[in-house]
Parts: sequence; structure tokens; C-alpha cells
Amino acid sequence: MREIFKHKPGRFFLIVLLLSFIGMLWAPRYFFEPYIFFGWLSAPCLAGFIFILIWLIAYLIYFFRYWPYRD
Amino acid sequence: MLSIIVLGLFGIAVLWMAVYGYRISAKTAEDYMLAGRGIGLIVLFFFTLFGISSTWTFYAYPGFLYRHGPAFVYFIWGCVAGFIALYMFFGPRLWAAAKLNHFLSPVEVLAQRYESKALRLILALVLLASMVPYISIESLGVGLGFKAFAGVHEAVGIIYTTILLICIILLGGMRATAWTNIFLGIIYATTFLGSLLLVINRVFPDGLPQAIQILSATNPELLTAPGPIVEGEPFFTYPIIVGVFITGLMAFSWPHIVMGTLTVRDKAIFKWFPLLGIVAGGICFYTIPFIWGSIVAPAISHMDGTLVPVVSGKAADNVVQVIITEYLPEWFSTFALMGVIAAALSTAAIQLMTSAILVSRDLIHGFFKPDATDRQLIIWTKLSVIGLLILSVGIALWHPLALALYLTNIAVPGFAQWAPCLAGGIVWKRGTKYGAIAGALVGTAMLIAAFILHLSSFFIIASFIVNALVYVIVSLLTPKPSEHIERMFFDEVEEFLEEKA
Repeated sequence: MREIFKHKPGRFFLIVLLLSFIGMLWAPRYFFEPYIFFGWLSAPCLAGFIFILIWLIAYLIYFFRYWPYRD
Repeated sequence: MLSIIVLGLFGIAVLWMAVYGYRISAKTAEDYMLAGRGIGLIVLFFFTLFGISSTWTFYAYPGFLYRHGPAFVYFIWGCVAGFIALYMFFGPRLWAAAKLNHFLSPVEVLAQRYESKALRLILALVLLASMVPYISIESLGVGLGFKAFAGVHEAVGIIYTTILLICIILLGGMRATAWTNIFLGIIYATTFLGSLLLVINRVFPDGLPQAIQILSATNPELLTAPGPIVEGEPFFTYPIIVGVFITGLMAFSWPHIVMGTLTVRDKAIFKWFPLLGIVAGGICFYTIPFIWGSIVAPAISHMDGTLVPVVSGKAADNVVQVIITEYLPEWFSTFALMGVIAAALSTAAIQLMTSAILVSRDLIHGFFKPDATDRQLIIWTKLSVIGLLILSVGIALWHPLALALYLTNIAVPGFAQWAPCLAGGIVWKRGTKYGAIAGALVGTAMLIAAFILHLSSFFIIASFIVNALVYVIVSLLTPKPSEHIERMFFDEVEEFLEEKA
């Protein structure tokens, strides 16, 4: 965590994760309407999928290009 | 008869792995407790994923969704992020500090980091008090499975699980626990996914949209927040949804998962582990119980001509097993029960190992016998396993709550009480022992008050927030840790992590 915070790509990575977290706090206001996606996917599950996908993309870019430790 | 043979063979396979684990172990405390710090990526993945995916995931989580609708999935999204965060942010430093200084438990790491024996005692007791009831749900879950499958008393399943657990842990320790989890995890995942696909294929020929249509027509409140009203249980309003998400994020502090970071072979594993955690765990595995509990099980209960009418309360905990028993052939029901046993064993084994290490290393070795030999440590750990197992089974039989409530009302809030001093101790140089002790005591006191006085879940969440605030404020008001501690837990750890592997 300290290492990640020390350099610019790391700070950007943490900001992306923070924004996705805020998005997860904002999304539940839409859960009170019966939105169903793709015929089966409810809104709380879709919100989580998007959240996890953001983490996945951010992780893949940061950990495999800017990982702070030496391999 | 076939079921008895299959369950017997399953038990023999598990025992064989435990014996094999015993034969290849080095018979040292480090080997017994931390698998010689030699766990690789794939084993760690199975070890961790199926260490956290228990009978709670197979029974209680779908049962909770079945009664409350889909919003509780936010707890799982929080958990996934919490687990990943542990391995991304805190794991490497915790692993390096423990490896460099030969620490055998994460509580020992923090006790040394904060130079406090009092903190060691407080954390060990709080974590044990939170974890032992959680262990009890595993054997109770298998008991419920046996009951739903064969109509026998819950005690049969509890005894079967207890015997297997004792054999795995006493013989093989952490190494056998980790390796056995590969076998158990494969059975668990295959059973869980296989039963879901077979039930959908049999009951809903048009797939999940057909199940959604049934729910839309009969019980549309099961498709949205806040879900149906269930007396005495949360109504999923906006604050509750946010609350369960934040509670889920505390997963980074689940002690049996934190323990996993100490068993890792090298730092590169921390680079790759999140990939498996996010894709295989977060996206794939946890979608299975969600579909089971929020779509398939309620749609079956609410459709015309159902074989499984609507159930409520604790009975909802085994609705998945009842549906499997009613709709699938008997041989598959046996297979599904084996999956539940695998789920229970994989989690309970690592929880028991972690609890026993807290007793032997942090309480007995830390306070009464600091000059203990490796052999004594191993013996105490084994004795602790037996004692804790008896205690947890006693709790399961004495106080059979709905399974989901053991986790959300007791275990997770208790685990969260060491989260501030764990995270702060690893990444914040300014965190002090007074801050850590004050935070843990205040948070735990709030939690106990909430439990005794039956206060709302907001109070439980507030206990963690107050704990964190007290930790920060008291740390800033008290003298900073010594230079020796800064060098040991920050400078040396950073140098070690920056070295080429």
C-alpha cells in the first residue's frame, strides 16, 4: 500500500478503485425499481459485476506494468 | 446404501490426504502451522477461496437471498473487494515481516509491531470469540444437509464432520489443510454448479428468464430492494445495503484469510493471486449461489405444482438441498451432500488451524511458556484443535441460529475489531500500541453491548468506525513507536520486498 501510494501510477490506480467504491455507494438508489437486464440479471448483481470489472482492468494494467516490487 | 458407500469413500479419500500430508511434513512448528511457508499460487487459491466459501455460501447465503431478495449480494461484492485488497495492499508487507522475523501468527506480528503483550491477549481473545461460533455453523450446516437428505438427526452430520476435521488437522496441520482444499474445492464447485445447471434444465426449459417471469408474476418484491418484509430481520433499505457492503469490505481482516498470507512461498504470488480471486472467485464462483438463492429457489417455491413450497426462517437455510433432493436423482443428492461436506471441511479446517494457533502460539507460548520447543507447540496446537472443536459443536447444538446470522451478527463484526490496528500497523508508521488497544477495546465493548441489548445493525457497523477513529486519534496523541520498530516493520520490510526475488 505504501509503495503503491509513492508513485503516480499507483495513486491513479487507488483513485480508480476509490471512484468504483463511491459508485457502489451511489448505485443502490436504483435497486428499488424492478430493472432486469439480459432477462435474468437484477440491478444489485449488475452493479457488482461492473464494480469487479473495473477492479480487474485497473489491477491488470497496474500490477503488470507498474507493480512496485521487483520480480 | 449407495449414499453410505459414497460418503464412506469420500471420508477415506480425505483421510488419505491427511496421512500423506503428515508423511511429507517436516515436523517443525513452522511446517505444521504455516506449511513451511511454501504454499504456491494454485494451492493458495483453493486454500483461500474454499477457506472462505463454506456451508454459509452453499446454504445460508442462498437462503438469505431466498427470503430477502437480491440486495444482500452487496455483502458478497464487499467481501470480494476486501479479500482482493488484503492480497493487493497488506499481504506482501505482512508476509515479509513474518518471514523476516519468524513470526507464526498475524497476532504475533501485531504484538511485536506495537510492542504490547496486552494487545496480543485482547486480539487473540476477540478473534477466538468471533471465530469459534463461525466454526460451529460448518458442522451445523452438514447436520442440516444430512437432515434434508436422509431425514436423520443433525447430530449425525455434525459427528461425521468432526471426525474428518480432527483427522485432517491433527495429522497434517496447515499443509494437509491447504492441499485437501484442492480436492474439496473441486467437489464443492462441481456440485454447486452442476446442481444449478441440472435443476434449471429440468424445471425451467426456457432458462433463467422463465424463472424471472414466475417471480415477476407472483412475488415481484423478491426481484428488487428492499425485498419482502421478514419479521425480526433487516429490510433492505438504502442504509442497510450500504452497511452490508461496508461490512463485507472488512473481509480483509478475517483471521483465517490473513493467516493464508503467512503461508505464501514468494512475493510474486501476491502479484498473480488477485487475478484468480477476481475472475474465478468474484465473477464466476459467487454468481452460482446468487442465481440459486435469488432466482432459481424462490421461483421453484412460487411456481404452480411445486415440490418445494415456500419455507421461512431457519428452514430456508437448506432450501437448496431440499430442491436438489426433490428434483434430481438420488445419486446426485448424495453428490450434493458431499459438496456440502467439502464446503464445511474446507472452511472449518483452516478456521480451526487458525484458532488453535492463536491459542498455542499467542496465548500459551506468548504468556505462559515462552521457551517452548517446536514439539510442545505442535502438541498444544493439536490439543487446542480438539478443545475448540468440542466448544464449537456445543455452540451449534446449544444455540442454533439461522446460519446467515452467525456470520453477519457475530463473526464478521468481531473480526472487524482488529481491522484498524491490522491495516494501520502494516502501512502507518505513526500507529501506536495505545491507539491499537483503545480502538480494539472501545469497538469490542460496543459490539458486546449491541449483542446483549439487541441493538440494530447500524450500531454494529458503528463499532468498527468508532474503533478506527479511536485508533487514529489516540495514536496521534501518544508518543510514536520507537526507531527500532520503524526499522523492523517498515525499512527492512521495504528493502526485502524491493530485492529481486
